[in-house]
Amino acid sequence: MSLLEVTDLKAGYGTLPVLGGISFEIEEGETAVLLGLNGAGKTTTILTLAGMLKPWSGTITFDGKDITGTDPRKLVADGIVLVPEGRHVFPQLTVAQNLRLGAWPYKRDRKGTREIVERAVEYFPRLRERWTQLGGTLSGGEQQMLAIARGLMARPKLLLIDESSLGLSPVLTQTVFEVVDKINDDGVTVFMVEQNAGVLSIADKAYVMEKGTLIYSGKGDEIMNNEEIREAYLGA
Amino acid sequence: MRTAIVSGIVTALIVVVLILGRGDVFGPNSYVVIGVSQGAVYGLIALGLVLVYKGSRVFNFAQGEFGTIAAFIVFLLTEQWNTALPYFVAMLIAIVAVILLGIVMERLIVRPLLNAPRINLLVATIAFALFAVAVELVLFLPEPKVFSPFVTSLPGIPETGLEILGFTLEPQRFLIVFLLAVLGGVLGYFFSRTDLGLAVLATSQDAFATRVVGIGVERMSRFIWASAAGLGAIAGILYIPLTGALTPGHLTFSVLIPAFTAAVIGGMTSLPGAFVGGIIIGCVQSLSNWAANAWHLGSQTYQEILPGTSDVVLLVLLLVVLLARPQGLLGSEA
Repeated sequence: MSLLEVTDLKAGYGTLPVLGGISFEIEEGETAVLLGLNGAGKTTTILTLAGMLKPWSGTITFDGKDITGTDPRKLVADGIVLVPEGRHVFPQLTVAQNLRLGAWPYKRDRKGTREIVERAVEYFPRLRERWTQLGGTLSGGEQQMLAIARGLMARPKLLLIDESSLGLSPVLTQTVFEVVDKINDDGVTVFMVEQNAGVLSIADKAYVMEKGTLIYSGKGDEIMNNEEIREAYLGA
Repeated sequence: MRTAIVSGIVTALIVVVLILGRGDVFGPNSYVVIGVSQGAVYGLIALGLVLVYKGSRVFNFAQGEFGTIAAFIVFLLTEQWNTALPYFVAMLIAIVAVILLGIVMERLIVRPLLNAPRINLLVATIAFALFAVAVELVLFLPEPKVFSPFVTSLPGIPETGLEILGFTLEPQRFLIVFLLAVLGGVLGYFFSRTDLGLAVLATSQDAFATRVVGIGVERMSRFIWASAAGLGAIAGILYIPLTGALTPGHLTFSVLIPAFTAAVIGGMTSLPGAFVGGIIIGCVQSLSNWAANAWHLGSQTYQEILPGTSDVVLLVLLLVVLLARPQGLLGSEA
């Protein structure tokens, strides 16, 4: 049984349909990526998985449980945690306070939270240097690190990362991808939405999306070597 | 930088007060004492305004009415129905009742308008305030209800007042200033050290991210309105005995504008700013009141030439702040 199973998922905004019935699976322990151009429906997909957007129809099962249309409050506690596009760190809270709020479902477990803070800061040592600085004063790369670290605070089983490379330099992008790979090695299942094909180097599985449907799926390196797909959909 | 600005202004104020005041600075009803205690009430209402503004992005016109309603409940319990309830119990009941009212208002008015344009919610708060005033008029008629100071003695404080640094504070005013200081400390701790406090701040900074980390935005909204109502209630109960009389809509008409000015001076988004702003406004108002009565132009005092001089001074101050420093003293945005 897969950790996450999506069946014939349809979703959109208002009356505008975006996802035209997609089905896919994420296995426990893997890093899956969803690639595609602007407007393909990648963010809609990940927002629906995170419960931020109510699906029109279809089902989502997580860990054998039907979670279709469940509130993010519940999903975060269940272990599905989103690192949103554009970081969305709390600009007027310090790095420490941002992380503290990331542990909201576990706010009574101070000790456990302290341990996870330590681990998060090991992944991103830069955050320790910025500890008492406000989220809004960090650089784009640091904000991305903080957003991922904040996601880790909720003890995710499945970490959903939306466009983490957006606006980052190639070097920083590489760093972020490497840390995500490390997080995955430590046992967290990862689902990433990306436009940057560089992510394929850490992907176990990849999907390509166009106009709200999945047009290709395969192993990460398979897509990497598929000229046709790369040229048509990844712009690389 | 900010602390420099604030301490600069406070020092300037103190200097102005000392130069202008001479004999009137001290004593039981010096304008400093009146200004600070009055300002404390403005600060409390301003705090509620800022809290709601941060949480719901709207100016809450009903903030003053939370206070008036609380005062009327106390009046009902202690005077009209003549229940034998001790004053403090009546106050507690009034505060709890108004907090419940805040929760009901959030559920029935704020929540349904959460995703509507902010102007809709703004108008809805005006409607709520006017409705509350109308109900008070029907129930209590426009005649002022006499309210005496609820404390004439406090343990350890002489009835003539407590002397601090040469100032004499009557028990009632002492209680107000003391309560504000305590509330300031509690709120400061709450918003910087507790999960719930941080979550409230988070809601005001990025509602989307707040949902992402698993915080129930509706719960936060309810909590914010309940707290604002509670602060309003405390302000009303403390303020009315100072003025001595209660009329329908009292706090809406006499406190809301000074409190708004206080919030703007503080930056509209800064909770400490609202506090400081309240004290500044109280002192400016009281000082200009004194000056208007003490200074003459020809044979008439300014107060005789222009009744309500202090209100004019307040509005001019509001204009100056809006023009010169719209983000306020401690605010981070315009």
